[in-house]
Amino acid sequence: MLFVGGLAAAVVVVGIIAAGMGQLRVPPSEVLGSVLHRIGLDVGPEPSHPRGDAALWNVRFPRVVMAVLVGAALGGAGAVLQAVFGNPLAEPSVIGVSGGAAVGACAVIVFQWTFLGTFTTPAVAFVGGLATTLLVYGMSRSGGRTEVVTLVLMGIAVNAVTGALIALLVFVGDTQAREQIVFWQLGSLNGTRWEAVRVVAPLVAVGVAACMSLARRLDLLALGERSARHLGVDVERLRMVAIVVVAVLVAAGVAFAGVIGFVGLVVPHLARMAIGPAHRWLVPASVLGGALVLVAADLVARTAVDYADLPIGMLTALVGGPFFFWLLRRARATSGGWA
Amino acid sequence: MRTPIAAIALVVVGLLAACGHGPTTGTAAEGPACEGPATAATQDWPAPLVPTPEPLLPVSLTDFSGTEVTVSKAERILALDVYGTLATTVHALGLGDRLVGRDVSTGVPELASLPVVTHNGHELNAEAILALDPDVVLTDYSIGPLEVQLQLRDSGVPVVILDGNRGRDVVGDQIREVAEALGVEAAGEELADRVAADIEEAESEVARLVPRDPSDRLRMVFLYMRGQAGVFYWFGEGSGADDLIEALGGVDVADEVDVAGARPINAEGLVLAAPDMFLMMSDGLESVGGIDGLLEVPGVAETPAGADRCVVDMDDSQILGYGPQYPATLRALAHAVYGEPDGSGGDRSR
Repeated sequence: MLFVGGLAAAVVVVGIIAAGMGQLRVPPSEVLGSVLHRIGLDVGPEPSHPRGDAALWNVRFPRVVMAVLVGAALGGAGAVLQAVFGNPLAEPSVIGVSGGAAVGACAVIVFQWTFLGTFTTPAVAFVGGLATTLLVYGMSRSGGRTEVVTLVLMGIAVNAVTGALIALLVFVGDTQAREQIVFWQLGSLNGTRWEAVRVVAPLVAVGVAACMSLARRLDLLALGERSARHLGVDVERLRMVAIVVVAVLVAAGVAFAGVIGFVGLVVPHLARMAIGPAHRWLVPASVLGGALVLVAADLVARTAVDYADLPIGMLTALVGGPFFFWLLRRARATSGGWA
Repeated sequence: MRTPIAAIALVVVGLLAACGHGPTTGTAAEGPACEGPATAATQDWPAPLVPTPEPLLPVSLTDFSGTEVTVSKAERILALDVYGTLATTVHALGLGDRLVGRDVSTGVPELASLPVVTHNGHELNAEAILALDPDVVLTDYSIGPLEVQLQLRDSGVPVVILDGNRGRDVVGDQIREVAEALGVEAAGEELADRVAADIEEAESEVARLVPRDPSDRLRMVFLYMRGQAGVFYWFGEGSGADDLIEALGGVDVADEVDVAGARPINAEGLVLAAPDMFLMMSDGLESVGGIDGLLEVPGVAETPAGADRCVVDMDDSQILGYGPQYPATLRALAHAVYGEPDGSGGDRSR
């Protein structure tokens, strides 16, 4: 409880720091002044740079908010998925959602579809992610039930197919499309507008709320499928609801930000190390932890190199990987294994 | 029994076809001899118009994306595209000193000291651009992401999206469009006329170098390569390379095999097509390890071009950039292909 509160505070603090930093230099006092003026309080200095106010409200703030949303979605989805699969290796890509979304996005890039304007790529990516997940789930189902192993194997098979489809699209596309595909797959929050935030926010809000409401049943599921069933949990229904929730969350995040790896895998593990396996706290901790990681990573992505924007997926994996490795070694040394 | 015979027949036909396209240059003395690689370099950047035009603003226009844009000030201009053509056009219009930043491809020496706002050619950062406080941004779809251009528009900067397709026949119109957006329509007309006349002059100069007999003309292919992985792309119809090969008086091999846009081709296909000369981007040639590395790429050494080491390369941003520098680009390429007009031969020192 204390940990979750602390995380929430950290998200707020880092969010404010991130909102106050960027390539267009606006001192923190002016950022605060700009916000206060916007909410009707005539206090504090306004940005002195002629484009300062516009840059804050049209470029930086929507991006920070999007980082919070996408991070929360990935963290929460990861925690739920690991619980449903009863497997610490589960991450959103296992059920095909990232791969399906990537196929959708690549198709839009290569065939230059524009039927929904700038929303074409995210919309098709969202549909692709969702459809692929439902395909994985549907194919794994037999006689009204699914088995975790079948689900994982089916996910691997579907991921191989999506990988092949992406390769085909890379082949078909021209040089410019290929570059776009490569960068889309590395993930970026560059170019986030309020329109995008308005689409993602409700999806993430509903998804995160659904994750929270599943938490108690996920705890029971941790006792084993049979015990959970005896305690009155409809395991099959729980699994289906959880997968749909995860698919919606991840598809919403991936649709606008591209593939951002590692957050969904590592953040729940970190949270579990800190507060143990009880999902009542693990789920909110993962949601907040994901948001925190992504806001911080995005801050680096957009400020590290002048005039440039780094791919955020590269940053999360580059920093997250070695850190996770170190944690694993430490956990092995102290508790003698991975629980 | 039938199948193996058919297969053998196919192989034989294939071999015959390959022989039919065998090397023709190098042996024919009257043909344009091409030996060794050459680099085409232009130092002739278009001179700015004199006197410097004064923008008549505001102007309202409908841009390439169909958006109504009003430009009311042009003291601080950004002109960004993947080839640097837009910035070169602004420079040639005489408004180069109003540019406050540039894309990485802009080669005009007077603009070299401006901050570069595109590091890898297509990933713009909205905050960094807003920090330069531009009055107007001229750009096209070759650079992006489009969302950043829209963010700039949201922030009150007029963003004029122009046609990004480069080619000989749109040079004049694209100059006029840039001029219109900056309120210097008359200057645009003047520059477009000057460049059009220069293009015709350059083309007639080049035409004098081209062998009269069509069978002596070089079979050219524009080869796009990145790294030694053996992946090559041909640039065909509509890529801009087609206009270039036509102006150079070459036989467009990609045209013969109906390649449109950029298409990958494998090693055997390259051998079969038997080009006499490769046109390449300098960075592309460098990425395979220069001419020696190129010859190690499967298929290349088996073409007449490979056997004669006949490669003409030019700076990535220039070779397909068109715009006001196109006449100079064409002359430089022609000199690299056919030798200097005084007969001294191109820069074949590479």
